[in-house]
Amino acid sequence: MASNRKEKPKRRSASQWAVAWRRFKRNKAGVFGLVIVMAVFFTGIFGSFFAPYPARPNPDAYKPFYEGDVRKPPSWLDPEQTNKWKYLFGTTPIGTDVFSDVIHGTKYTIYVGLLVTVITMALSIVIGAIAGFYGRWVDNLLMRIAEVFLVFPALLFILVFVRIFTLTVGEPFLTLPIINIQIPTGLTIVVLILAFFNWASNARMIRGEFLRIRELEFIEAERALGASNTRIIFRHILPNLLSSIIVISTLTIAYAILLEAAVSFLGFGDVNAITWGQILQENFSEMRTVWWAEIFPGIAILLTVFGFNLLGDGLSDAFNPRLRD
Amino acid sequence: MTETILNIEGLKTYFFTEAGIVKAVDNISFNLKKGESLGLVGESGSGKTVTALSILRIVPKPGKIIDGKIEFNGDNLLKKTEKEMQRIRGSEIAIIFQDPSSSLNPVYNVETQLRDVIMAHQTVSKAEARKKVIELLEVVGIPEAETRMREYPHQFSGGMKQRVAIARAIACEPTLLFADEPTTNLDVTIQAQVLNLLNDLKKKFGMSLVMITHDMGIIAEMTTRIVVLYAGRVCEIAKTYDLFERPRHPYTAALLAAVPRLDMRKTLRVIPGNIPNLIEPPSGCRFHPRCDYTKQICKENVPVLEEIEPGHFVACHEWRNIYLKGEKSH
Amino acid sequence: MNFGRFITRRLSLLLGSAMFRYIVRRLLYMIPVFLGISIISFFVMYAAGDPLNIIRLGRPTVTQETIDSLRRYYGLDKPIPLQYLNWLTNVLQFNFGKSLYGGRPVNFLIGSWAWETIKLQLISILLAFAISIPIGINSAKKQYSKQDMIITSISLFGVSMPTFWLGLILIIIFSFWLGWLPSAGSRGAPYLWWGNPILDQIAHLIMPVTVLVYVMLAQNIRLIRANMLEILRSDYILAARASGLSERKVIYKYALRNAIGPVITYLGISLGMMIAGAPMTEYVFNWPGLGRRYVDAAMRLDFPLVMGITMIITVMTLIANLIIDICYVYIDPRIRLR
Repeated sequence: MASNRKEKPKRRSASQWAVAWRRFKRNKAGVFGLVIVMAVFFTGIFGSFFAPYPARPNPDAYKPFYEGDVRKPPSWLDPEQTNKWKYLFGTTPIGTDVFSDVIHGTKYTIYVGLLVTVITMALSIVIGAIAGFYGRWVDNLLMRIAEVFLVFPALLFILVFVRIFTLTVGEPFLTLPIINIQIPTGLTIVVLILAFFNWASNARMIRGEFLRIRELEFIEAERALGASNTRIIFRHILPNLLSSIIVISTLTIAYAILLEAAVSFLGFGDVNAITWGQILQENFSEMRTVWWAEIFPGIAILLTVFGFNLLGDGLSDAFNPRLRD
Repeated sequence: MTETILNIEGLKTYFFTEAGIVKAVDNISFNLKKGESLGLVGESGSGKTVTALSILRIVPKPGKIIDGKIEFNGDNLLKKTEKEMQRIRGSEIAIIFQDPSSSLNPVYNVETQLRDVIMAHQTVSKAEARKKVIELLEVVGIPEAETRMREYPHQFSGGMKQRVAIARAIACEPTLLFADEPTTNLDVTIQAQVLNLLNDLKKKFGMSLVMITHDMGIIAEMTTRIVVLYAGRVCEIAKTYDLFERPRHPYTAALLAAVPRLDMRKTLRVIPGNIPNLIEPPSGCRFHPRCDYTKQICKENVPVLEEIEPGHFVACHEWRNIYLKGEKSH
Repeated sequence: MNFGRFITRRLSLLLGSAMFRYIVRRLLYMIPVFLGISIISFFVMYAAGDPLNIIRLGRPTVTQETIDSLRRYYGLDKPIPLQYLNWLTNVLQFNFGKSLYGGRPVNFLIGSWAWETIKLQLISILLAFAISIPIGINSAKKQYSKQDMIITSISLFGVSMPTFWLGLILIIIFSFWLGWLPSAGSRGAPYLWWGNPILDQIAHLIMPVTVLVYVMLAQNIRLIRANMLEILRSDYILAARASGLSERKVIYKYALRNAIGPVITYLGISLGMMIAGAPMTEYVFNWPGLGRRYVDAAMRLDFPLVMGITMIITVMTLIANLIIDICYVYIDPRIRLR
């Protein structure tokens, strides 16, 4: 016990979040992932300020074209280039700077990652919670439907749906009412469809967690104290679910980014929204000579997804440490 | 003079975790004589299970035995190779765990699991091993052994499962058997059956038994000598009767005082304070923060085990100055 | 001696057995799932209104006349539910209609492309699982060792990697820079790589297989390792060690059986998705398999082809799921056949 009674020793917070945060800080890999994620967000939000060239369709984006610097390799590899920092990732056949393209594409990456996850998780939580809480035939029915979604090949359906809807909705950009922000329609269609096909596995996981928590004794105690169903769900079960939700969300973001890259790469993406996958698609045919336009955006995707995965793993470890002693 | 079959000196087993070094077993010494029933008593976290695992040398990572001597039948077990230890485990020294639901492999039937142990230590054919398995199951009191051995653990009740676990432990007639809280997870009525079974088997095979538990009632019934552990150290070693009659260590007395009794009214005394943090244990005597008789010396110096009467050892600075009431058996 | 009686006895045992009833029950459960998917597949066409309009949007040069005749030819002027039933009955007879581009019967097309895909996938799956199991187990055994750390990072990397990107890198390095391997296709034309036809096929297989194997490997190793780690901490493994069983037996007999579950699931899913063909990899390597053709079909909105491939994949996945579940009953006796 404290021998010195004069100073009260500072009690470290023992809340679930404080404990988990301390544990997370010790996980080097997880922290590294967090750093990457923050770098990605930073680039996405502030990218336009430090990118060498502006985003398309601004004509200045094509400056390299007007200077005759088409299909140039990365300047630090180019013996002819005096300014080794000019084109960090080289230039494309249409005359844009790959580095700038990648930076400007970051905001789309974030857009896709976050929006898909928000929609998917909203759906998953609602469905998973309903299935978990009411059980029996409700649960059965919802899980059967989920099974249908899980069984069929998502990517195939996604491609077709995206294609159909992109063709029918003609407008390249939509303006949202009230906040007056422009969103790229094609990309948003991709987002909606990705979210639509992704809810099933998350819903199952959430339902599983829900069931697990529901069986814990303190829920029974609450019920014995007279708590209503809604109160139990919102005040007791959901907060415990929160840690799982955070982990699953992080991993969903990673998955969404990968999937969007795949869809865009195959040519089903939005030509007006230059995502990283879109860059890969544009330069695929000339890959032999303009390999830098294929490698560097790919590295960007890889690093970002890697970062989110590390973060997700780190969080998962921090909330539910694998007991070591 | 019965021979000593197990002699432990200065055993130290630490766990090297992210949060720090957990000193689970910190300088434990005691011995066990042939045919004896020794009790290993203490709260959770006292190091009783880790001691048993250390002797068998199956301490899970990140644990490591860093010091000490473990002599079994004259051999220092800490110097043996893994292969040699494998030969000893299960055939000369065996252990029964607390929860039979988790100590039996759920995906294999009982016959397979028992047979594997037999065939690992004896060169017998599968058919001979099968016969032995049936015998074993009958010895531990499982009816219709031949049919039941093809069933899976989850198809047995708790008590039956523990019998199967016991069968597995005695399959090769070990000289030394550790029973780690064998009845804690079972109903009280089954408890008695299992304990009786253990006693019968002990007599039948001439085994020495180490009974690990925190239940003083079981200790009183089953053992002839007791080792009391606290926070990875030995507090007191004495014959069961002596220990109950007049304990010499404050912790022992506190343990006894906390046991409810039907035959006399008494206020249950709660031991104040918490189980010590094994990463940063209290200085000096580890019990001092919770002890009624603490003096300055207790905070500074680690007490050493002294033999205050033949066969009665205490690790306490103040043992001369305190009189502790024991449990009078009627 | 009496063969007939022997057979009847065996059959009645089989038919009466719990396993048989279980299979039948599962098959019955699969029917609504199958129907559900068929409905979704079919109504994909109508997702945004008249399918022919959409096609016209994709190919603005098509005339109204062609549209009308197509409508009649494909029976799109009949009421929708009737169309669905027509299509479904055809599907159940393996008739998937004719492709909108070229008019060849879909099942014929699928058949000719399927072999290429299966070739690629089967080799990859077998390799991936054969390699991943020992590595995963080893990784769990030697947790925290350098070897383990390296393997864990590489597998996490592998799971984060866009598959097609790995393909791109390999092509750039090994085809364009080094010229060691062919960059596309499954066969060399006009000349054969490495001498003879068989070596030529192998040469073309190396890179796509590497890509597929790497991703499956990464996923698998993570699964096995995570599972094994948890199991190796369990009491029954401690007890097995305490009984003096050899380390090899403890790990490969006692631990593995408990850990293998998710791996089998993943194997089943991979086999089921075999025909789906990893469209990404096939696209990158221009592999003439189902995946690549599907991408083209989806782009051109060749509905009969799209729906045909989807249904085939669905059926294969369902069958694979059923097989996995049956295997599970043998692996884990705690699962009762209900």
